[in-house]
Amino acid sequence: MKDKRVSRPVAAILTMILGATLLAGCSNDSAPEASELTIYSGRSETFIAPFLAEFEAESGIKLNVRYGDSAELAAQILEEGSNSPADLFLSQDAGALGAVAEAGLLADLSAEVMASVPARFASADSKWVGVTGRARVFAYSPERVRQLPTSYMDMSNPQYKGRFGIAPTNSSFQAFVTALRLATGEGATEEWLRSLMANQPKYYEKNSMIVEAIENGEIDLGLVNHYYIFEVAKALGREISVKDGFFADGDLGNMINVSGAGILSSSKKSDSATKLIEYLLRASTQEKFVAETKEYALLEGFAGPAGLPALNEIAAPSVDLNALRDLKATQELLIKVGLL
Amino acid sequence: MLLSLASIPFLYLLLRVREISRAELLAILLRPKTIEIIFNTFALAIVVATLAVLIGTLFASLIFSSNFRSRGILLALSSLPLAIPSYVFTYCWIAIWPNFRGFWAAALVLTFSTMPYILLAAFAALRRIDKVQVDVARSLGCNRLRVFTRVILPQIRNSIAASTLLVVLYVFSDFGAVSLLGVDTFTRAIQNLYRASFDRQSAALLGLILVFFAAILIFAEERMQRRTINARSTARIKDEIALITKRAPKAIAFAAIIAYSLLALAVPAYVLITRMVGNFQGIDFTSLATATFNTVLVATLGATIAILFALPLAWTIISTRSGFALATEKVVLITHALPGVVLGLALVAFSSRITWLYQSVALLAFAYALLFLAKGVGATRTSIERVPNSLKEVATTLGVSPWETMRRVTVPLAAPGIGLGFLLILLTAMKELPATLMLRPTGFDTLAIEIWSAASINRFNEAAPYALLLILIAAIPTFILSRPDRQFQEEGGRHQ
Repeated sequence: MKDKRVSRPVAAILTMILGATLLAGCSNDSAPEASELTIYSGRSETFIAPFLAEFEAESGIKLNVRYGDSAELAAQILEEGSNSPADLFLSQDAGALGAVAEAGLLADLSAEVMASVPARFASADSKWVGVTGRARVFAYSPERVRQLPTSYMDMSNPQYKGRFGIAPTNSSFQAFVTALRLATGEGATEEWLRSLMANQPKYYEKNSMIVEAIENGEIDLGLVNHYYIFEVAKALGREISVKDGFFADGDLGNMINVSGAGILSSSKKSDSATKLIEYLLRASTQEKFVAETKEYALLEGFAGPAGLPALNEIAAPSVDLNALRDLKATQELLIKVGLL
Repeated sequence: MLLSLASIPFLYLLLRVREISRAELLAILLRPKTIEIIFNTFALAIVVATLAVLIGTLFASLIFSSNFRSRGILLALSSLPLAIPSYVFTYCWIAIWPNFRGFWAAALVLTFSTMPYILLAAFAALRRIDKVQVDVARSLGCNRLRVFTRVILPQIRNSIAASTLLVVLYVFSDFGAVSLLGVDTFTRAIQNLYRASFDRQSAALLGLILVFFAAILIFAEERMQRRTINARSTARIKDEIALITKRAPKAIAFAAIIAYSLLALAVPAYVLITRMVGNFQGIDFTSLATATFNTVLVATLGATIAILFALPLAWTIISTRSGFALATEKVVLITHALPGVVLGLALVAFSSRITWLYQSVALLAFAYALLFLAKGVGATRTSIERVPNSLKEVATTLGVSPWETMRRVTVPLAAPGIGLGFLLILLTAMKELPATLMLRPTGFDTLAIEIWSAASINRFNEAAPYALLLILIAAIPTFILSRPDRQFQEEGGRHQ
């Protein structure tokens, strides 16, 4: 009697295994077609999928997109090495692309692609190219912050004591500290970090949490990327009172990072992959990025998103994005001062 | 073969650590941060395990001994948090209380998610206690408290210890709660090393230190288990032991259990339902259905593979006690403490050149099997061990071959217990995220993936329906596991 009760689920399970094996078999058979591209995307599906769908419709190239965290995808590509099934890597930041490039896993991009964006937004050795721009800003509450900071140095000013937030584990903050290290030296950076910590910041895991905390009145300002105020407003489904502010011209606090793309050297479909990069850098696509994902277009002559100043008006400091890949020394420093 | 498969993650870690120079190795080991991580991890594990053991044992005893007519519901209610992934728990708490952060917040969330392991194990152990012993003790003049400490506790101690080990290993490997709440444990530190500096070597070193500590704990737990009291009658005891019969304490116990369950369940339920209702027209039912199907498919496959591995392993351990099999069991337990990312990357490194296997449903299912095999081996081993030898001996005297004996006597009798081990793995696999992200076929979305995808850009409204559905589906195995009339063979109780 017991036998029967056991055998039914067992039979069901065996059927499922068989089914799944067949299923897995099917999906594998159709993989190696010339008109398909496999993309590892560190950019989130919600933001990038509409663009990819438009490219599919226009080019007839089918895209298999694997979404993940930029850094984890980079780590995955590093483990896969030359066996990577990916043709193209879309990353949230320059650092992840730099790490893959450093391991020799990215192919050279064409001269036309490299020429389409200003050199400061692309890899010096033609391994990756920026697609959209992301500005570091301070987000703040206009009601509660009377005197705006004019430099990142002001964050250690007593008037902001205990009123601001940072996200030290977040890669965008670490990229900024890396830029500081390269521009001002280890000693000055360490000194600033210590004075920052002495000014009692609140620590958050993500940039969006900082913006939410400002909106909730928990803190009054914080160091974030420019688009988080739009993201949080969208997530909450209402207007929020938090605004983006830029520091004085040329201040390192106004650093611009990019999301970007690189073609894997193991890919046999670099022609199709190049087509996709060209699509992403086309003026009409860039315009859509500004309107929809509220990022900066990297081509010359575009206005900033949603009333923010244009890229060439920000007067950002010159930062070598290629150097951002090595965050090791930055992490050592953050560990040393106790932020990590 | 199983040993070599189970060793893949450790080989991987060794391989990466060997790339570090000796000086650098020492520098990483001795940096204050490493010490802090070890301290945090242990402090969290100790606090969570203590709370889970106290609450779990208390609730199990209360539910068991109070003769509640509604004990089935009580048991199900207090086990239900098992169906909620720790990252969903955390998101929900942050949603209503933005200041929810830090060590104690993480301890709270992890206690909620792990307490059911202790509760169910303790309850199952209580059911096996011979009522006669209680009566004897009472007639010898023991009061109720003494009966509990002298008669009952020694008999359920081993089961509780075994599941406490699982709780501690779970805390070691959890990422969702600690990362969102900002507590630097091993898993979070490892993930941060990958995230910010693509530093696979240092991350691997931290992974190995974690393995080392897990191994120590596993051996310590085994030591404890040796001091076993083996006082068990073979008769099935159906009577309940009614220790609490007065109405007032009964009401207090009832209220305490209900209050706890509501505290654990109300926040996620409230947040998820309001978020989903607020965004009802935005729900994509096709993707919801696909993700559900994928989740169930791959988790079922993973649990099946795990049990298929667990059966021969448990069988070998019991029949031959070979050192090889015992070593495999330890390796499997340590794997349980590994962060999903580490196992994910290890499998990427070893399988990416095998094109037909890499990023297939089969590989993902295999990853689940490896990650959660510990739960299967425990359940399988206990339930096979509990088949009375006399029955097997009778079969042998009747001229039945050993194979036939296994097929016709042992497996049918052990099946319910093995089935529950299966459910436990199924339930855990459904909630898994980090390894799923790396190993799934490209474009293969599970409920956990969809939740991550929406939550990573703060679209909690969009994540809510997936999270609710995941909880509802995971509640089915949880419910079966918590049915009091089930002869639940506790997942971790390996030596009875």
